Amino acid sequence: MPLDTSAYSLALLRVDGRRWNELRRIHAQIRTQAAADGSSYLEMGHTKVMCVVNGPSEPGPRRGATSGGGGGGGQSKNAEVAVNIVIAGFSSVDRKRRGRGDKHILELQSTISQALAASLHTHLFPHSTINISLHVLSQDGSLLAALINAATLACVDAGIPMTDYVAACTAGSTSTYAANDEGADPLLDMNHQEEQELPGLTVATLGDSDRVAVLVCESRVQVSRLEGMLAVGVDGCKQVREILDRVVREKGIKMIQEGTVERGVGLNDMELD
Amino acid sequence: MASSQHVLLSPAELAYLHASLSLTPPIRPDGRSPTQFRPLVAETGILPGTNGSARICFADGTEAIVGVKAEVERTRTRHDFPSLDDEGAEDDDDLDNQHDVVKGDNDWVEMTVEIPGYRDDDAGTVFLSAMLSEALLADGEFTKRLWINRRFHWKLYLDILLISPPLSYPLPLLSLTTHLALLATRLPRLKSEGDEDPLFDDDWAAAPYLYTRPGKKGSKKTVAAPTARPPVTLLVMAVGNNIIFDPSKEELAVADVALAVSVGEHTGSTSSKPTEMDIDTEETKGHHNLRLLSVRTIDPPSRLTPPGIPNASNSAYGANAGAKDTEKKKQQQEQARTTESEAVEGVWKAPRGGAKTLVMAALVQKVLEKGGVADEVLDALDGVDLN
Repeated sequence: MPLDTSAYSLALLRVDGRRWNELRRIHAQIRTQAAADGSSYLEMGHTKVMCVVNGPSEPGPRRGATSGGGGGGGQSKNAEVAVNIVIAGFSSVDRKRRGRGDKHILELQSTISQALAASLHTHLFPHSTINISLHVLSQDGSLLAALINAATLACVDAGIPMTDYVAACTAGSTSTYAANDEGADPLLDMNHQEEQELPGLTVATLGDSDRVAVLVCESRVQVSRLEGMLAVGVDGCKQVREILDRVVREKGIKMIQEGTVERGVGLNDMELD
Repeated sequence: MASSQHVLLSPAELAYLHASLSLTPPIRPDGRSPTQFRPLVAETGILPGTNGSARICFADGTEAIVGVKAEVERTRTRHDFPSLDDEGAEDDDDLDNQHDVVKGDNDWVEMTVEIPGYRDDDAGTVFLSAMLSEALLADGEFTKRLWINRRFHWKLYLDILLISPPLSYPLPLLSLTTHLALLATRLPRLKSEGDEDPLFDDDWAAAPYLYTRPGKKGSKKTVAAPTARPPVTLLVMAVGNNIIFDPSKEELAVADVALAVSVGEHTGSTSSKPTEMDIDTEETKGHHNLRLLSVRTIDPPSRLTPPGIPNASNSAYGANAGAKDTEKKKQQQEQARTTESEAVEGVWKAPRGGAKTLVMAALVQKVLEKGGVADEVLDALDGVDLN
């Protein structure tokens, strides 16, 4: 049993030494790749993902299994958000190869596609496609959350107008047993071990608001726990949003200082140091 | 796949590109010299969860990541490869004699190439991974490094990811990245002896490199292997009399011949182990003892670019509209055929027929030349810090 729940109740520390409401280290970079319209690299703990966005562009010949869940097809009034996820064989501890038709990957793709299509202003780009390809380099839990965050950052980098950040986070609960109801704590940002062991959900919110954009729960959990988990998750999303926002701002300031982009109007009051 | 991707150039532009590349010296669109590679950024050891990993970014923005993962696998029993599973029956002398026989099998290496937007069973992707693994397995020495004992061996998984969209034919990029990843690959140090179940050292710092380098001595098990480093596959093309290395997508579109040449390196005495397929250059003169491992022709997109058609034979311009009687029509067709077969200045004509043997020989020669491009590339890759 990787997570000893009795040990948790003694010291209130998790397997990796965090408290119940602590996030893992999040490190992100944007504009990592010159050839793409937008790109990002995101680490949440040991989960490492890369995202490359191309478009909005004219839809090319459709190849491969891209999932166009959000928005319409190439001929519609809204841009289609096509998400393609590649989970590298070396990403998990034991090498496990997933084919392109893997149901789990397809579900991740359509979840991300729908979440972003709702946040991006796809109506500005009729008859076009936004291609988002995500590469999973290393997995240690909270995969969907990391993918959503990376995709958001890459879309920001690509300059696609959007309502707000879609920031995602996972939340879980310490106990799986109904009998131990009072002692159960909600947990923020689960790692792989915890995900194997405990009930958890992934939640994504739109910006600073409490509006939930994505809610995925793949495990059995008591209804009484759900509210606490959701509250913790939404709170975590706000923290994640702050981190993403800081990454974007830092990069923006750097680009202005380097002279890559011109200083826009209304930026004078921004602190540039 | 990528070799046949669309190049949005008109026949006139293609002809211009072809003409400027056939000049002496050729003028390349990006101003490089014919043997110059695109500048690149390389790093290794980026993924701690793998046995070895590398990332390379070319200046045009294409980027690849390779991760190598190794697993211990039980060697399958084969009639020519007696297993120890049925112990007891065999006598000790026999065992001692066979003890040092290191064998390899091509099944011990599995290579996958992932290119975003392409299916993994896409013909081009499969061809790419076949080319890369072919070069690696060509001399049969690589798999011997994966031998643990007579009952177990390492199974090596090479996962090659192209992160960026394929802007140019990704073969050189993927090959260089794979090369670096293999150089950075380490396998845990073996603690058990003989044919016992393998037991490994926990200390990762003690893990020897798969390819031991002259500077670092860490490997206990020295396998007699003539190649000291993984192969490198280079993309070479010929336009007219010029040989051009590392072509970009546009240049590849007007190539007469495009070859993928895999080059390995000899170490030590090569005379003891002559193989049939190597074309040795004079030894000990240059820095590296290069040897040819495999050559593949790549169908250049020039075979797929439509030629410019004169208006006379273009039905869209009413070529046959005016011709009422069949006599006149026939004459016109005859005329059209001659204009089509003749080279017209400034009109793109896709090269027809196969590559000339002399051109092929020259291409291979140029790659293997002392102090040539392959030498330079290997030198440059030596400079990458392996951690």
